[in-house]
Amino acid sequence: MDIYSQTAWLIPLFPLAAFLVLMALGRGYRRAGVFIGSVGSLAAFILSLIIVIDRLGANSVDYNYAFDWIVIGDYTLRIGFEVTNLTALMLTVVTLVSFLVNVYSAGYMKKDERITVYYGYVALFTFSMLGLVLSDNLLSLYIFWELVGVCSFLLIGFWFTLPKARAAAKKAFIVTRIGDAGLLLGILLLFWYMPDHALDFTRIQSVFAGHSGSIANGVTTLIALLIFAGAVGKSGQFPLHVWLPDAMEGPTPISALIHAATMVAAGVFLVARTYDIFLASAAAMETIAYIGGFTAIFAATIALAQNDIKRILAYSTVSQLGYMMMALGLGSLTGGIFHLFTHAFFKALLFLGAGSIIHAVHTQNIKEMGGLGSKMRLTAWTFGIGALALSGIPPLSGFWSKDLILTIALEQNPLLFAASLAAAFCTALYMSRLFFLVFTGKPTAAASKAKESPISMTVPLIVLAILAIVSGFVETPWNGWFGSWLSGEEEAAHGSSFAIIASILVGFLGIYTGWIWYGKESSRRSAVADKSPGLVKLLERGYFVDDLYAAVFVKPLKAMGDVLTFFDVHVIGGIVRIVGAAAISTGRTAARLQNGQVQTYSVTAVIGLVIIVAAIALRRFLS
Amino acid sequence: MNSMLPSYLTMAAILFCIGLYGALVKRNAIVVLLSLELMLNAVNLNLIAFSKYGVVPSLTGQIFSLFTITVAAAEAAIGVAILIALFRSRGTVNVDEFNKMRR
Amino acid sequence: MSILNDIPILSIILLSPLLGLLVVLLLPKHRSSWMKAAVIITTLVPLVLSLWLYANFDKQQGGAAFEEQYDWVEVPLNKELQDANGVSSILFKFQYELGIDGLSLPLILLTVLVTAMAALASVHIKKRWKSFFVWFLLLETGMLGVFLARDLFLFFIFFEITLIAMYFLIGIWGYFNRERAANQFLIYNGIGSAIMLFAFVLLVNTAGFHIDQAGEQASFIYSGSYGDILHNLTDPAAWVNLSSSQLGMSNPFQMTDTLQWAIFIMLLVAFGIKLPVFPFHTWMLKVHTEAPTSIVMIHSGILLKMGAYGLLRFGILLFPEQAREWAFVLAVLGLINILYGALLAFRQKDFKLVLAYSSISHMGIVLLGLAAFNEIGLQGAIFQLVSHGLISALLFLIVGSIYERTGTTMLSELGGLARSMPFMSGVLLTAGLASLGLPGLSGFVGEILSFLGLFETMRWLTAVALLGVILTAVYVLRAVLKITFGPEPDTFGALKDARLIEAVPMIVLLAFILLLGCYPSVLTDTLQSSLGGLYDQLFATRAGG
Repeated sequence: MDIYSQTAWLIPLFPLAAFLVLMALGRGYRRAGVFIGSVGSLAAFILSLIIVIDRLGANSVDYNYAFDWIVIGDYTLRIGFEVTNLTALMLTVVTLVSFLVNVYSAGYMKKDERITVYYGYVALFTFSMLGLVLSDNLLSLYIFWELVGVCSFLLIGFWFTLPKARAAAKKAFIVTRIGDAGLLLGILLLFWYMPDHALDFTRIQSVFAGHSGSIANGVTTLIALLIFAGAVGKSGQFPLHVWLPDAMEGPTPISALIHAATMVAAGVFLVARTYDIFLASAAAMETIAYIGGFTAIFAATIALAQNDIKRILAYSTVSQLGYMMMALGLGSLTGGIFHLFTHAFFKALLFLGAGSIIHAVHTQNIKEMGGLGSKMRLTAWTFGIGALALSGIPPLSGFWSKDLILTIALEQNPLLFAASLAAAFCTALYMSRLFFLVFTGKPTAAASKAKESPISMTVPLIVLAILAIVSGFVETPWNGWFGSWLSGEEEAAHGSSFAIIASILVGFLGIYTGWIWYGKESSRRSAVADKSPGLVKLLERGYFVDDLYAAVFVKPLKAMGDVLTFFDVHVIGGIVRIVGAAAISTGRTAARLQNGQVQTYSVTAVIGLVIIVAAIALRRFLS
Repeated sequence: MNSMLPSYLTMAAILFCIGLYGALVKRNAIVVLLSLELMLNAVNLNLIAFSKYGVVPSLTGQIFSLFTITVAAAEAAIGVAILIALFRSRGTVNVDEFNKMRR
Repeated sequence: MSILNDIPILSIILLSPLLGLLVVLLLPKHRSSWMKAAVIITTLVPLVLSLWLYANFDKQQGGAAFEEQYDWVEVPLNKELQDANGVSSILFKFQYELGIDGLSLPLILLTVLVTAMAALASVHIKKRWKSFFVWFLLLETGMLGVFLARDLFLFFIFFEITLIAMYFLIGIWGYFNRERAANQFLIYNGIGSAIMLFAFVLLVNTAGFHIDQAGEQASFIYSGSYGDILHNLTDPAAWVNLSSSQLGMSNPFQMTDTLQWAIFIMLLVAFGIKLPVFPFHTWMLKVHTEAPTSIVMIHSGILLKMGAYGLLRFGILLFPEQAREWAFVLAVLGLINILYGALLAFRQKDFKLVLAYSSISHMGIVLLGLAAFNEIGLQGAIFQLVSHGLISALLFLIVGSIYERTGTTMLSELGGLARSMPFMSGVLLTAGLASLGLPGLSGFVGEILSFLGLFETMRWLTAVALLGVILTAVYVLRAVLKITFGPEPDTFGALKDARLIEAVPMIVLLAFILLLGCYPSVLTDTLQSSLGGLYDQLFATRAGG
């Protein structure tokens, strides 16, 4: 029964092999590149699927294997992999989305001269992400955590000649690095506090879930918050969300794969993996819930005013990740992971749909689009499904997962419930705005020449659309199968009719408002923006968070660097110069004795002689 | 008889010091040469004094002083010869201007 | 095996560059390609031998099988003293003593590897090949000697050889301000050496003193042997540890507390200059910018490590108590190095200066590891030494190649090289990522071990030091992305990617960086075996007192 789980270590090796082969091939072999990349991820997907199907049975055992990485005296750092239901689920999601993106990219990136390199990076990313998912301890998770960050960085900067892409890549790396430093510190803390310096999740669970009291409460909270800092960076939570919208400079399939479905969800995954630490600290849980809830509403409002199709989706991702975090903070592992699961499909679908649009009209500004519905029927339909799923319209998948979170919020914290309801309204509103502006109305100049994308791009859309419809049924208010499978415990199905009705109402209200404002042919499309330009400006610039950071962190850092440079050159260098000058002038003085006058020399010699004689005489005299 | 020795030695020391002073301080090369002679003669005086009043009196000291006188004569001859040559070329006998080798 | 043991392998490693030097001397001046070939082959010899050494390094014995010892210099002291003390002889005794342990073996491997790669990179040298290669090979012998020597005097001599060789290598073959750079290098390091020499003299005259009893005849010996000194310092019955009252007579050899502190601080300063520790770092900025590529590879790859090595072997291992008391000072110095170097690297306009300050920053991590005073930290420090050696050698190699093509290393004039030179830009990016501590590459292991170690003893300091991790990312990416990404200035003509002779050292260095990053046990296990011993030694005094 565990045979398949034991082979899980093979899964990441497929994309790794693909990466190595692609790097060895170089820029030629464009066709082969596409083929190798796709086959690598397909193989990984098939194996993951086998494992997850194998584990669908009621009581599958977690499988763990680890080896010593570094042994120093009594301390051991290990690397290993572990298959649980959660990781099996993630494996499937990652490999599936990765495979679909591989297929999609064959069309989308067809004309790029570095397509082989692109496929190589994607394969490397898939490998790292799978490694992250499979890791059985925090250290190896951290290793892969950084690797996915690098892949994300490489792919954001894939079109490296563009200064904007370069800046975005740099920003993504550095901002997430801030979170990572926190995570690293958390790992250090954990290492020294855990009995036997163990870092594997099984031990963490047994130590923290047992409430054995071996680790003080304050330390637990600190560890939890530091780990969460890592998650904040990776998952684009406030206040480290600023990199994610900029990351849209990368190719669109990458936005779908990395910045919507998989890597950004790694933060949620991390919190879920170390959930027992969080459960042991009420303060940490509360922090997560509030940050998640705030991010959800915060990003959703920003998304309302964006004009770049990908940035809308990016802020939407930030907002949805906020939902997941909030669910985790409110104590519902199922809610967070379930939303992660459904979100992966419909957000990947939306991004790929957006890619299809961009591919056709060569712009990302939704103001320049319009009337694409008739030109690109398939894209419009699938995009519409994704948008409805995101807006939480039953019976699509997004509805079920969002409803679960709302229900929990209603039970636990009315304030967060209100916030998430407001965010849901905004979500529906910005998605309908996006949809109506892009697909309805009269075709613009850019849109009039648009054609439906090639089959390699539409097939992934269809597959994802189907998944966006059906994937929600694994957990409904009446059937808690998903939750119990995930946690291994029987979970009561909890439904609240109030939450259901509220969420449906809010969803439809949002869409209706969107239709009134943007959809009706009669209304001027910029009417809303004209009424309150200040607010729109505020939202457009994302509450000026970027400018704030530039003023508060970047500038002082630069100034400090300049001051220190001045200090280094003039003070320390100055001291060195003074010492040097002193040495030189001493030398000059001494050189003056060397004046070529025999008499001076002899005087010196005589003085020396006198001193020696005096010294000898004195010594005799003294002894 | 032995009581004479300190007087000779003192005399020689005084002579030597005068010579040393002259050799170190005087700028005129001829005076410097003369001072050197003075020092040599102070040494001669010592040699003779020791050969007469020393622990083991012998002729060796006196013979050595003869040698010294010879050497001093030769030295003075060469020294003056060089000085004349220098005076011809540079027009001066001041030692502090003879520092050409430094450059 | 036993036959192999009789071969003085360490001496062969040490002296093989000198043999190559002779060959170079015999070759006619204009045969530059022969000379290059000879030098490259010569540098491969110690590389192969050291790898053999690594393979045969007995992890249990800790390298004891590879010790060599011959009498070398004996200076008898004056007869009067001898007669007065009634002994047959009083000697200063310095030995030709070589040895390896887990501490020096990785550094030797690093040395031979980086030197071989630098030899390949030396094909850029355009004038006076012959004397260049002579100094180059002499430098290699010097560096190997530093890591191999087990005698204070011998160590000092090799240390000075590297100094002199470097002086000429920088001063003759460097860039525009080469002479200034060479002078500054010489003065700073000369001061360091003088202080070190003074400390060594004090050591030989106190801890080096022992009485050799051979039958009736006793001889007083002032020994420079590291082993003797270490033994005497730890042995409570040794002269150096006996006070006058214990001895019943005045003991001129007693190591008082003050003297211990004085020697420790002198060693700290002497090796601190080499490391370099803030504020003694200005000399190396010039060296980094002015020295020719292959020399700067060696300089930042190996010579800086000599400082850390000396600090560890002489400062910390000989005076563990003092070092322990000053652990906090070391850690603070390390912290200053990290943050100061990073902040300055962030604002430099010349890529070489960015790398120079980054070296300061990375050496700070070494100090942190040393200051941790536990096994993890110690391992981390040494790992970081090796890793930084490889990474910085690689980075400077690339910088040299870029300079050769574009004629500049100013960040403002570079850009978009990834288009015309994808291979080199890829290597540069990877090396940059390694330097900012990306897991899977060697920099990460050194960093995390050092931090892990330090965290046990100094929590807050580690937390602050982690800021360095962020800042490193900031300055590395700023510089590397400026060079490789973005639009390419039109001023460059057609730029060619790396030639084979450039690509080989890049790939080799990168391979080692990857190897150490993915499977650090190749290094840590070796370290473990003999560091375990060193470690016990380090803490024997603690347990005893």
